Amino acid sequence: MDLPSALQKLSTFRARNTRASQETFDKGLVVLKGNGLKKLGDESWSFLEQLALAAIDVGRLDIADRCLQLLTDKFPGSPRLDCLHGIRKEVTESPAAVLLYYGKLLQADPVNVALWKRKISVLRRIGRIDEAVAELIELLDTFYTDVEGWLELVDMYCSVHQYISSLQSLSHVLLLAPQNPFHVLRFAETAYTAGDIPLAMKSFLNVIDMADADEDAPAEQVPSGFTIRAWFGIKQCACRLQRERITSPSQTAVPEHVQLFDELATERLKTVYAGRDKSDKEATEVLEWLARV
Amino acid sequence: MFGRLLIVLGAAALLHAAFSTYEHLSYLKALGRLEESVPNDVTLEALVGLFLGILGASLDAPALKEITWASEMKKRSIDEMDSRLGFANWSNRGSTLLGESYGKGQ
Repeated sequence: MDLPSALQKLSTFRARNTRASQETFDKGLVVLKGNGLKKLGDESWSFLEQLALAAIDVGRLDIADRCLQLLTDKFPGSPRLDCLHGIRKEVTESPAAVLLYYGKLLQADPVNVALWKRKISVLRRIGRIDEAVAELIELLDTFYTDVEGWLELVDMYCSVHQYISSLQSLSHVLLLAPQNPFHVLRFAETAYTAGDIPLAMKSFLNVIDMADADEDAPAEQVPSGFTIRAWFGIKQCACRLQRERITSPSQTAVPEHVQLFDELATERLKTVYAGRDKSDKEATEVLEWLARV
Repeated sequence: MFGRLLIVLGAAALLHAAFSTYEHLSYLKALGRLEESVPNDVTLEALVGLFLGILGASLDAPALKEITWASEMKKRSIDEMDSRLGFANWSNRGSTLLGESYGKGQ
């Protein structure tokens, strides 16, 4: 693997916040050994941060320490580096010591968002989830537009099975990032888990609507990406609505023609899986299930 | 490849026409007949150079990309959208299981 393609892949990872730690580490090591730091110039510092985190994630603390040393030499006393040192401490020191470290830094600078998020993450990890939720709500009161924070709150509520609160947090996410179909998909799936099937059906249909916003161009023939998951959701909702009498806690109306939705979802899923290779076990299982249900 | 060739030919034609104009104007200056215009074939050569250059640049353009938001979203995954790196858990049981030897390379 050569240097330019590795650099390009790493910058894509940085832009899209991907956490593919093993791949980042392998490519980052190539860049580090191949003298890529000089080529990157100003971007080498964010690259070193990315490589340090990936190295900590795969368990290569020697490389992580080397990157941290290079960064500390260049930027002594930077708050962003305090956060990285905290993450490094989280791996080897006890949670109490780490919380003390973050507490001291937050006393000096109470609105450092990165450190606050690390503290909340440590609290969640050691099981003090009620404190973590309280701190996170305080953070979101201060910084309302932090989508990452709202998504973390959604995940925390889901982990303790409080799906109504999770849906309320997700509605804030949808306010802040309305054009992202993945958040609507999460809303739909959480509503289904909470038992509100008509709301879930409506949200799944919203996701499909977002998939092809251009009404003049023809819709694509085979669904791909998040739309497959949405069609599965519609199929599940339609099956349940036909089998049982469902009332919606949010008073969402049950859609008419549920039978037609069932047939449409089955047909769309068949086009996805019928085109695959005969040896694909997943495809044959799904097609069997579609024929049965 | 063909596009690049056309761009080179167009540039060459244009440069040749420019040089011919310069030579012709210095010839006219030497003879003192400054009222005459540049001959027709030089103008024609310049226009041909322009046409070839436009054709070559259009053929050599990179492939078109999708512009809709929906098509961009189809290429993303849930892991990217939900990564929440600010809250991510970077520690694992390695230091407890392996003790002092955790974190060193082979």
